[in-house]
Amino acid sequence: MSSAQTQANLVDLYKEKAAATACQIAEFSSFEEAIPHLLSLMEKKAPCELLYEEDVEKGPKGPNGCPTRVQKVVAAPQLGEYYEPLKKAFEEKGYKVVDSGLRHYLAGIDMGIALAEKGIAQSGSCMVNTNNEDTRLATMICEFSVLVLKKSQIMPTVLSMADVLRSEMSASPANYITFISGPSRTADIERVGAVGVHGPLEMHIVLLEG
Amino acid sequence: MKDSVKTSKDYKEYLEEALNDQFLRKTLDKFAVDYRVSREAVFSEIDGRDLIKKVADAKDNACRHMEELYAKFKEEAEKRGVIVHRAKDAKEANEIIASIAKKHEAKKILKSKSMTAEETHLNHKLIEEGCEVTETDLGEWLIQLRHEGPSHMVMPAIHLSRYQVADDLGKVTGEKYDPEDIQRLVKVARVELRGKFIEGEIGISGANFCIAENGTFGIATNEGNGRMVTTLPKVHIALAGLDKLIPDFETALTALTVLPRNATGQRITANVTFINGAGEYAIGEDNRKELHVVFLDNGRSEIAKDPLFSQVFRCVRCGACANVCPVFRMVGGHKMGHIYIGAIGLILTYFFHGKDKAAILAQNCIGCEACKDICAGGIDLPRLITEIRNKTAKEVGQPMQVAFVGKIMQNRKLFHRLLKFARFSQKPFKTQEGFVRHLPDALFGKHQFKSLPTLADKAFREIYAEHAYTLENPKMRVALFAGCAQDFIFPEHLVAFMKLMKAHNVQVDFPEEQTCCGLPVQMLALKEVAADIARQNVKAIDASKYDYIVTLCASCASHLSHNYKNFIGDECREFSSKVKDFSSFMNDVVKLDMSLFNKSAEKVTVHIPCHQARSLGVMEQPRNLIGQVAEYTPSKEEASCCGFGGTYSAKFPEVSKELLGNKIRRIEESQAERIVTDCPGCTMQIRGGLHKKGSKVRVTHIAELLADNLKK
Ligand code: SF4
Ligand code: SF4
Repeated sequence: MSSAQTQANLVDLYKEKAAATACQIAEFSSFEEAIPHLLSLMEKKAPCELLYEEDVEKGPKGPNGCPTRVQKVVAAPQLGEYYEPLKKAFEEKGYKVVDSGLRHYLAGIDMGIALAEKGIAQSGSCMVNTNNEDTRLATMICEFSVLVLKKSQIMPTVLSMADVLRSEMSASPANYITFISGPSRTADIERVGAVGVHGPLEMHIVLLEG
Repeated sequence: MKDSVKTSKDYKEYLEEALNDQFLRKTLDKFAVDYRVSREAVFSEIDGRDLIKKVADAKDNACRHMEELYAKFKEEAEKRGVIVHRAKDAKEANEIIASIAKKHEAKKILKSKSMTAEETHLNHKLIEEGCEVTETDLGEWLIQLRHEGPSHMVMPAIHLSRYQVADDLGKVTGEKYDPEDIQRLVKVARVELRGKFIEGEIGISGANFCIAENGTFGIATNEGNGRMVTTLPKVHIALAGLDKLIPDFETALTALTVLPRNATGQRITANVTFINGAGEYAIGEDNRKELHVVFLDNGRSEIAKDPLFSQVFRCVRCGACANVCPVFRMVGGHKMGHIYIGAIGLILTYFFHGKDKAAILAQNCIGCEACKDICAGGIDLPRLITEIRNKTAKEVGQPMQVAFVGKIMQNRKLFHRLLKFARFSQKPFKTQEGFVRHLPDALFGKHQFKSLPTLADKAFREIYAEHAYTLENPKMRVALFAGCAQDFIFPEHLVAFMKLMKAHNVQVDFPEEQTCCGLPVQMLALKEVAADIARQNVKAIDASKYDYIVTLCASCASHLSHNYKNFIGDECREFSSKVKDFSSFMNDVVKLDMSLFNKSAEKVTVHIPCHQARSLGVMEQPRNLIGQVAEYTPSKEEASCCGFGGTYSAKFPEVSKELLGNKIRRIEESQAERIVTDCPGCTMQIRGGLHKKGSKVRVTHIAELLADNLKK
């Protein structure tokens, strides 16, 4: 099998296993093309519930009895060249876009976008470098989590990540790496599966060519 | 386990309570079945046995180098600004953590799930010091609200119903919740705990592995609370047992491939976090977190030196040994371990929480080996439980009665004379079908749920001469190992065997000096007696004269072939290697000569004994044999425990009864006319249960089914 073929198989396997962890996957040839998709996700979602007091304009109560945001917020720290076009498109629609200072939004944000450095086909996971506290928070306190993953970065198995992880965990004096596989979930009440106990309610993967 | 449970009598009352908890029973029954299905699905994608072996080897190796790994981890972590502590026991660990809290004048403590913190009773200490401790894992939070301990290592609140949860959450918020809306109930935690996360001053987590090569520790969680706890407060303290130290990322990732699959049938948990170094903390003065790792010894460095018990450190706390345990299924986790639960709980309780508690708990194992078969670390759990029993028997003492049994069993002639006397004395109670009729309650009390068989009028050893034969040109020679139950209760199993062997031109001898296999005395923790008996049998049967030593009791087969070496070492090598259970001997070695048999239309299902399925790995052979002479009719959970478990059913009749009930239900559902098995104990148990219900289903040994279908 050629290496291109092998990679294509890995992508298929990744998609299958990520879907099994309740991720929703969409494929695009570039990030620019993914922006309308993200905008429509944002548009359709109910406004974020504020789970803690925040000095901001509040809308009617949400399904869990908390007030909601009037202006939806998206956080996209460390997005590099993707940030500017994203910011422009989201601000045009009236959304607030931030890339730092997320400790001011701990009550909850609508969407958090982060780059995944690697994918793992065997388990449907994304590896995210969350050394940066804002990146970490963006994937934790959002209602919808979006991870952007390049197809070429998909590795076959959990075990095949050893060298990557070793070098990631030695890159800085202090390191914090997360494997994320689907939204936050629990089965602690009568073993009934439920998502969104603490972290994201939904997980969306943007799978890019290249 | 409750602290007030100190004697076996208290413990039995406590068990009764669990058995009467209908909700618990239903939940655990369903879980036992669902778990198997989801685990199988994700294990089919990997080479499970191979990975488990790798985990076991890597952890054994780590255990041998615990001190070096500790030194390396400490060095690497300190380089990265982490403060590493080592606590010799639970008290010291709690004090270290309390003093960090004091230093920061912190009152609001967040916790993500940590079995190690449960082990040290950390919450008690912190609350004593005036802190407010919030468990942030949903299950842990729910039991914290009720002031209860976990009932499972992975699903700590599995014993709670949605109604209890809805009530408890209502008390927290003052609102009323619909118990049927579980999705909404979960969100109550989302809302209530977010504020706690934001206000928390110190976060305490456990660690699934501590990777020495660069001072990294890893935490696997599903709910995402682990990342919140390690991120939001300025101070993070990770508490880990010394056994969590491993050399490198390869070992961590191998364990990570197995752990979630074995725990919950997931390929991986929703979050796995790897942390090293005191990282960024955006709102701190110095912009840095304060990170502590506290390593707990609490006897671990001693256990690490024990050639047998050091294997407990292969445990990755997946909880699977509870998931498959028939006793757990019946009584739940609160009755099966103190903090650590399931088979591993029976063992760790001894080391971490005291001999008295362990002495009672270690009795509550039926010896079915299901836990050994499923363990992510390949730990020989039943063997260790037996050893704990031996230890507590020595240290805490055994009832007189047990010592007395030991004395008798050591002397074959005395034992057999006693059995013959028992046969005589039970005569007045015997019914026509061979069951003991109304024994006075005082004698048997709780055993009334099944009819007990009586001893046969004549033991096999008394009628052997009538069935013995000598062949001119046999295709092989085997020694028959009878086992007490078949010798004295079911000689007809052995007679059927003799017929089959003669028809297939196999020479059978029955060396008469043989005695009980010794498994019952092993279960009673009489180690020396068990060794003595093993020697008697190895001497009685000269293995060099036979191609095989065959037994019609799967438990004897497993004990003779796997356990003898634990008692008498190399002396039994040839003997043990020649032992075969009936089904695999008949199916794989002799092979049915179909010209000798008729195929009947009888619908026959099978019960595969625990020791046959797990210890010997024999599953297909009995089914195959049935299919050749009758209509094989599958039933659900064919290899699940019937509740006999040798001396277990005498010690815990309450639990045994429930296991049997489950088995009977499966048999009835299958609509079979006959059920066969390869063990006299199971025959006794199942036949007794069906008889008591007035069922018409026949229960026989597989050998009898085959012999019944021999052409006349
Ligand atoms: S051997 Fe069977 S009864 Fe004993 S702990 Fe293991 S699973 Fe439970
Ligand atoms: S003893 Fe084995 S099965 Fe039980 S929790 Fe530990 S690793 Fe899992």
